[in-house]
Amino acid sequence: MDFSSNIASQLNAGTILPEGIVIITLMVILIGDLITGRNSARWLPYVAIAGLLIAVLDLCLLWDLPEPDGFLGSFSSDNLSIVFRGIIALSTAVTIPMSIRYVQQSGTSLAEFIGIMLTATLGGMFLSGANELVTIFISLEMLSISSYLMTGYMKRDPRSNEAALKYLLIGASSSAIFLYGISLLYGLSGGKTNLMAIAANITDVSGTQSLGLAISLVFVIAGIAFKISAVPFHQWTPDVYEGSPTPVVAFLSVGSKAAGFALAIRLLVTAFAPLTEQWHFIFTALAILSMVLGNVVALAQTSMKRMLAYSSIAQAGFVIIGLIAGTDTGYSSMIFYLLVYLFMNLGAFTCVILFSLRTGTDQISEYAGLYHKDPLLTLGLSICLLSLGGIPPLAGFFGKIYLFWAGWQAGIYGLVLLGLVTSVISIYYYIRVVKMMVVKEPSEMSDAVENYPEIRWNLPGMRPLQVGLVVSVVITSLAGILSNPLFTLANDSVTTTPILQSAVVTQQLPQETITVSTQSLESDLDTSH
Amino acid sequence: MLSALILIPLVGAIVIGFFPDKEGKMSRNLAIFTALSVLVINIYLGWQFDTSVSGFQFSEYIPWLQWIGLNYSIGIDGLSFPLVCLNSLLTLIAIIVTDKSIARPRFYYSILLLLSCGAVGAFLAKDLLLFFLFYELEIVPLYFLIAIWGGKRRGYAAMKFLLYTAVSGILVLASFLGLVWLTGADSFAYEPLRSHTLSLTSQLLVIAPLLVGVFIKIPIFPFHTWLPDAHVEASTPISVLLAGVLLKLGTYGLLRFAVGLFLDAWVILAPWMAILAGISALYGASCAIAQKDMKKVVAYSSIAHMAYILLGVSATTRLSITASVFQMVSHGLISALLFLLVGVVYKKTGTRDVESLRGLLNPERGLPVTGGLMILGVMASSGLPGMVGFISEFLVFRGSFPIFPIPTLLCLVGTGLTAVYFLLVINKVFFGRLTQSLARLPQVKWVEHAPAFTLLFLIIAFGIQPSWVVHWSEVQAVALLTGS
Repeated sequence: MDFSSNIASQLNAGTILPEGIVIITLMVILIGDLITGRNSARWLPYVAIAGLLIAVLDLCLLWDLPEPDGFLGSFSSDNLSIVFRGIIALSTAVTIPMSIRYVQQSGTSLAEFIGIMLTATLGGMFLSGANELVTIFISLEMLSISSYLMTGYMKRDPRSNEAALKYLLIGASSSAIFLYGISLLYGLSGGKTNLMAIAANITDVSGTQSLGLAISLVFVIAGIAFKISAVPFHQWTPDVYEGSPTPVVAFLSVGSKAAGFALAIRLLVTAFAPLTEQWHFIFTALAILSMVLGNVVALAQTSMKRMLAYSSIAQAGFVIIGLIAGTDTGYSSMIFYLLVYLFMNLGAFTCVILFSLRTGTDQISEYAGLYHKDPLLTLGLSICLLSLGGIPPLAGFFGKIYLFWAGWQAGIYGLVLLGLVTSVISIYYYIRVVKMMVVKEPSEMSDAVENYPEIRWNLPGMRPLQVGLVVSVVITSLAGILSNPLFTLANDSVTTTPILQSAVVTQQLPQETITVSTQSLESDLDTSH
Repeated sequence: MLSALILIPLVGAIVIGFFPDKEGKMSRNLAIFTALSVLVINIYLGWQFDTSVSGFQFSEYIPWLQWIGLNYSIGIDGLSFPLVCLNSLLTLIAIIVTDKSIARPRFYYSILLLLSCGAVGAFLAKDLLLFFLFYELEIVPLYFLIAIWGGKRRGYAAMKFLLYTAVSGILVLASFLGLVWLTGADSFAYEPLRSHTLSLTSQLLVIAPLLVGVFIKIPIFPFHTWLPDAHVEASTPISVLLAGVLLKLGTYGLLRFAVGLFLDAWVILAPWMAILAGISALYGASCAIAQKDMKKVVAYSSIAHMAYILLGVSATTRLSITASVFQMVSHGLISALLFLLVGVVYKKTGTRDVESLRGLLNPERGLPVTGGLMILGVMASSGLPGMVGFISEFLVFRGSFPIFPIPTLLCLVGTGLTAVYFLLVINKVFFGRLTQSLARLPQVKWVEHAPAFTLLFLIIAFGIQPSWVVHWSEVQAVALLTGS
């Protein structure tokens, strides 16, 4: 075989074509901004959205690639990664329309903002397919550093600065811990960086589980849990969510979280396959804490963004149920939930942005009586929040049922029951906001709603916001009832991904012990009360 | 055909919700039209319904979300048919008695129809998960109906209702999940699940959350505390629907799922359930005696009368099951009538306080027709022969006395107390000299009483000719007890 074609087949550069498209979009935006200056805001966001949608389209074309590994095995474009990259790209494509008006109103440059957001998206997309330690770490940092930048983008707002600094400090230390964890992995496997090779070498060499591997597992999980903001690695979430620009929060709560889950699946299922029992145990604890703490603390919040922060912590707890189930249905329920979560959460954030653009506040009490002034916004936010609370027949209900169904089949009853109980709690705080908006009489209106500006959609940047809102709300209402295509997508991506298939087979055995450990943990919790 | 019962209110709700209409006249007419067409279809179904065979009729099946074992599978049988009819009738009545100048009419009529759609869907569902879906679907509309158009403490009452019902839903779901997992079935379809062969221990394990769930909904003491609050704060039409239809979801769930799916476990638990029914009946009745608010009296009497259904279901004989369904219909009609009349009194006098009302039966300046109807309603409720309340309660007690004599006696005492508390109310409110402050009451038009007269007509008709109701469910009651 010819040398160059050999190299080309080894590189298999077609696997990262979607990322290539995003990179080209990014460059077009940066250069276009330089050339056209201030006027660029008119067309730049649409270029970015178009680029992201083309990337998603290209991801569809890459489905069922016969030779998914690229770059000497360091990047894998299997169907699992395609789904996650799609979720991340889509979440950015929905986030950009809601940020146009927001960023312009704050008087900062839109092009730079979109540039940073696209970089973060790239990081997330690479992370979803990264199959090798160095690639994982670099794409993780790419995602993180852009996120820090975006968090502090409102540089004149002290709260934004505080959020950025907090996020940077905690994020950097968690990255360091994660890096230390994977360095242990590198050493224990005898100098391998490819995940499959690590898995093979660790099982070959150690036989018994070494302490080093366990430490490495704990450190790696600390890094992942920071990204998905699972309790007790969540402390940054409420402060950062409250201080950062709202579109950034929307991206952090969906895109960044999805990337974290993609990393969790790939890393834990392949490299830590020998320690399945242990990581299931740790994640069970994370899920319990996240569901309980997230839902309970959300009850007490007065700021909408803080409430959504705690709700996103709780939602992460629900998604972890699918991860622990460790079966085909478990993984596909995770993906399904993330897909649904994308639209309902982003829909909610779109409404929050719209409200704060018109009134300048995020306080829940200021939403009182909104129904009388802005029915569309009330309807949209109500549907998204009720869907997050799992009220039928909205999409979130089906997502949750599927997660619980998968968990129940896999035998993690304790977690599923806890999930059921905490989702009742969650209904309370979601419906509290809906009550504020819908139930209050005109005489009980808050000041912000009293002085509500006339609804004008023809201001620059408002039209895309409206389109984004309507699209999210329509999908949230209908994706549950018509969820067969989404389900097929989620399920196919799992059943056709080789790493998950081998994992599912090996996990059939230790299932019993996991149940026991879950239950014993729950009983420990009970006695401690 | 059967789907029309679900789809028509749903479409009606959406059309009303998005149809621009400032005064609310159009919304009201559309809502009445929707409810009326549902009732017509219902009557047509009743005409086509074959009472001589057991099992579901007019079944419809559309594969839906098969990956979680959920299919759109509906059917109607002798247990659900009377309740579906009751729902169509009471929905229409609730819409008609709604104040014409109600605030936010579009939203109101829209979610009222959605509520009715949820209830009828739950009655028709042949799939456990589908039942749960409709069961939950009805929560949010009812929450709004109480929270927006309710009385003074409506926010509290609505939230209490929401949380109680949400917990009840979760328990029911946990039980369904447990059943499907234990049997290893791959879907939630009702009929295949009936032939499961679970051990008694696992049946008991699965039935426990289901029972607590439906007890909250029925409600049975000690899970009842949400009901008096919800009834007192809800407006009249909502109280009618709540007492007439939505509580029946609990007893229907009890019959359809607890008895239908776990007969062995139910028979073991039945003696305890019968005692619980006796306690609940006595408790409801004693509380009703102490109430000063007329609506609260009716609400507590509701708790007592719903307990008879539990008693009948516990006895698990052919007669007692048939009688329970009959009692559901009878309670639906009678409590709806009483709530309607209390609503009229409240509307005309501005108070429901037993202490401050007096002499309303005064033929010239009082509310004589309302008073007369109320007396008839109270007679029906306390079980005077010739009315539906007598025959349904008699059948329940007749069916359960040989099996559980002591609880039946307790319930009989409860029935006796019904006469006590209602006569106390009637005596104070309608007899005596009309209070001066109430001397100029606005006249009640005959049209306003049309719904009440309809209900009264049915109450007397079914009281004289009970087989008009009973024959729907007789065959199915046997089938329920013999298994599939």
